[in-house]
This record gives sequence, structure tokens and C-alpha cells, in this order.
Amino acid sequence: MQPMINVENLTKRYAGVTALNGVSFTVNRGEIVGFLGPNGAGKSTTMRILAGFIPASAGRVQVAGFDVFEDSLEVRRHIGYMPENNPLYMDMRVAEYLKFRTKIKGVPRNERRDRLEEVVKQCGLDEVRQRVIGQLSKGFRQRVGLADALLAEPDLLILDEPTIGLDPVQIRQVRQLIKDLGKRHTILLSSHILPEVEMTCNRVIIINKGRILASDTPENLVKTLHAGGLINVEVRGPASEVTAKLGAIAGVAGVKTRAGNDEFVCVAVEPQAGTDPREGIFKTVAANGWTLRELVRDRTSLEDIFVQVMREEDEAEEERRESRRGLR
Amino acid sequence: MRNVLALLRRELNAYFASVLGYIVIMFFLVVMGVIFGTIVLFLSRGPTQVTAMEVMFSMAWLPALFLIPAITMRLLAEEKRAGTIEMLMTAPVTDFQVVFAKYLGAVVLYALMWGLTGLYVVILRHFAGESSALDLGPIASGYVGVLVIGQFLIAIGLLTSSLTKNQVAAALMSFAFLFLFLIVLSMWMPHFFPSGDLNKALQFFSYRSHMEDFARGILDIRPVVYYLSATAWALFTTTRIVESRKWR
Repeated sequence: MQPMINVENLTKRYAGVTALNGVSFTVNRGEIVGFLGPNGAGKSTTMRILAGFIPASAGRVQVAGFDVFEDSLEVRRHIGYMPENNPLYMDMRVAEYLKFRTKIKGVPRNERRDRLEEVVKQCGLDEVRQRVIGQLSKGFRQRVGLADALLAEPDLLILDEPTIGLDPVQIRQVRQLIKDLGKRHTILLSSHILPEVEMTCNRVIIINKGRILASDTPENLVKTLHAGGLINVEVRGPASEVTAKLGAIAGVAGVKTRAGNDEFVCVAVEPQAGTDPREGIFKTVAANGWTLRELVRDRTSLEDIFVQVMREEDEAEEERRESRRGLR
Repeated sequence: MRNVLALLRRELNAYFASVLGYIVIMFFLVVMGVIFGTIVLFLSRGPTQVTAMEVMFSMAWLPALFLIPAITMRLLAEEKRAGTIEMLMTAPVTDFQVVFAKYLGAVVLYALMWGLTGLYVVILRHFAGESSALDLGPIASGYVGVLVIGQFLIAIGLLTSSLTKNQVAAALMSFAFLFLFLIVLSMWMPHFFPSGDLNKALQFFSYRSHMEDFARGILDIRPVVYYLSATAWALFTTTRIVESRKWR
């Protein structure tokens, strides 16, 4: 089956600035893909190109089998797009705005009312349908934007920072809505908030400075990029002996000990990549007759990975710069 | 076409959902009411060669100078400032459909304002009776002139609105154009060049002589073609400017 989005070597240059540099990725039907990156990474630029708002400088972009440059109108018929900051006509009423959008999106006349009713229900807009958009809270406006994106039953939803500027309750509501929508639509959403992507998406594309750094499921990213976080151990026993014996266990890369506020010793064990020395730790403690109070592995979050990937990228760049300087 | 109609409805809605539409109409009626009253006052002093409506049409430039920038300045500038142009241009509509609908919206509002002055004809008829001063032919062609010239000025206002995100800047640009076109080109220049080829050339572009012809009941096809093709040029250029986001 042909992928929903197929991007090959996408490059976008603005006057003097390269916003995207040879980006390639695909999104299959039914996926919820998160676009993750710091501000200015090229997320919005990619989405604008996908939605047909601006063209690329080079590369090939296909949505639902149509070329974004050659069949722009056809591509737009298959996309529900919510731009960054969710711009809406503030002077219109919710129902009025959505009705206008059904018309310009080419929803057939006899289906308009049904579509409108459905998205109003889906996005929980019934109580505000006659309110002026400019007077709504940001959470409701965001839902109007989502409702608009859904109006023409698009195959693909492109949501640029769908939860930005919302309060925690609203964020949860919008995330839940996106999750529900994922059952019926392919979704590409961008975010610079990690838990969001971690919670809603089944694949993550990390992008920085116009290049893709990683693309995988959140779990796999955690597994492959950062084998394990620190293991925290609390043991009752002589501190120096505990440090020495735990440090000698196979698979342990390093040990840091600090005294607790009682006779327990707190040890932070750093495992070697890809190993899990917890069993060894338990056995060592048991063999020495010490008391074990805690044995916990920090769960690495996507956040750690994100920071790590960014740092590796920065270091690599620093090295490149250094070597260039060296050549001179 | 369906797209244009939907977009046009949204444009008209925007005029009347905000106070802008009402303020503009009120301003127009105040200015035209004063002009009309003054004309009637002067003409009632004795027999004249001109009719009240003829003089009124010849004054059409005065409200246009302020109203055209006011009704066109937000058309594209505001969409760009608020970012709503992104919603508009990622819907399956072409750039030209958007530009054309915005032009039509302003033309409809403009026509509506002038339509209200039809009341003056009724008033004149009531007091002056069925006299020759109320020949409906020249009145009809006067309205045609006001519409044909006004729609061109609106297209220019739309063009300036596409150049900036700032409504005030757009208004000042179209005001500057209207000022040059309506006053300098049509009223001053013929004064400086009273005869010769340059005068003939100026006559051809002179809004004033066109409007006078229309108000006298002369429905010449040449100025109509001139204004409509100038409008086509302005709308085409505006579309290219809107598209320019794609090649900048």
C-alpha cells in the first residue's frame, strides 16, 4: 500500500537560511506520527509544505499519492490542516465559521449539515456553537481549529503544535481527542513538548536544524538510544565495602555512593549500555548479608533521549567546526 | 464559482459582523447628504444648465478618496497579519478565487452605499415633479460611471492591501494613489497643460472627464473598457503578489 506521506530529500531555503536540509521520511496510513524538535527546527516549514501553503526548494513530496507541487488542490482536499497558533476569523460565530469552511472545502451541499453536526459533537463544541470565536477561551478555539481540520473527513490530519498555550486540563482534553481521532485518521502532529508526543504517537521523528536525527517508536528510541538510566540502591552495610562490591558486578559501569541520613547507604549504579545488572546487585547484597531497602531503575523518558540526541548533534557539529578550524 | 460565492459571503459577513460596514455607510451618507443638500440649495436659486444629480456625480471623488481605502485596507493585510491567510490558502481554493471574492465583496458594499443615494432621486422627484431636470437616462449612466470607476479604485485598494501586513500602511498607499489619480492627474495636470498632445493623453486617462461624460448621459464604451481592463490588471497583479509567498 502506498504511504500517506512520502517525503524525499526535501530542502527548503529561505533568503539565506536553510530551514530544511534533505529531509526524507514516510508516514503510513493509520499512523500517528509526532514531529519533535526545538523551536526553529523546521517542523512548521515541513508541515506548511505538506499542506501546500509554501513550496519546497528541492525534493519530492507526495500526500495520498498526489504530488504536492503538481496537484496542490487535490492534496489539499485530502488534508485537514491546523496551522501553528491556529488562526481563525475572530469575528465569526463557531457554527457560521464551520459552515463557511465546509463550503470552501467542497463538502457536497447535502452532506454539509451532517458533517458540521458530527465535528461539533466530536470536538465538544455544542455549547459554544453560537458564540463569537474571538470571545472563546483558547481551549475552545483550539477545538474549533481541530473541528475545522476534520470537516471534510480528510485522510490525513496535520496538526502544528495542537496543544500550545493551553492549560493542563485543556491539554489533556485535546490529547485525548487526538488519540480518539487516531483511530480513524492518519495524523502528523508537531510538538516541542515530549510527554505529549510520547503519550499520543506511535512513532516519533526527531528533527533539529532542518535534519532528521531519529525516527522510531518511543519505546524503541528509549531502548536503543539510552539503554538504561541509573539504578538506585539503598543498602544497610559498610559504605566502602558496598561501593567496592557493587562496582565489581558484571555490567556495572560506575558507582556513586553517598551516605543516607540513617545507617543506610544510597548508591547510584550506572549500568553499561544494554545490560541490566539488577539481579547481580540483589545477589551481591544477599550474599554479604546486608539489608536491601530499595532497588529501582530510573525509567528513561523520551525527554532524556531528546536532550541526549540534541547534545550529540551539537557535539558532532562542534567537532566538525574544530576540524575545519584545524585545517586552516 | 461555488468557492467564490462562499468566500464572497464571508467577506460581506466580515463587513457587517464588525462595525466597519455600518461606519463606512454612515460616513458616506453624511458626506453625500451634505453635498446633495448644498447642491440643491445652490441650484434652487435660479435656472441652471446642470441638474442636481449631474453635479452630485461629479463630486463622487470626494467620498471615494476616504472610503475606498477604508473598505479595502483590511482585505488582505488583515489576513496576513492574523495568519488566517494560511487557513484560506490551504483549503482547496485558488489564490485568484480568494482575490476575486475579496474584490467582489468590496464592490458589493460600494454599490450598496451608492444604491442608497437612489433616495435622492425619489426626493427630487417628489419636490421637482416630472421636470426635465429628472431625466432618468443620465442618472442611470451616472450610476454606471460611479460603479465602473469605483470598482477600479477598489481593485487598486486591494492591490495595496496585498503589499503589507499593516492595514494603515495599506490605507495610506491606496489613499496616495487615489489622490494622484483623482486630483493631480484629473484636475491639476489638465490645468497645467491646457492644450496639445499631452492634454489629449491626459484627457484619455482623466477620471474627471470620464465621470462628466457618464453624468451627462454619454455611455461611451471606451472608458468602460479602460477601467475594466485596468481592474483585470490590478487583480492579476494582486494574485501574483499573494502567490509571491511561494517564490520568495
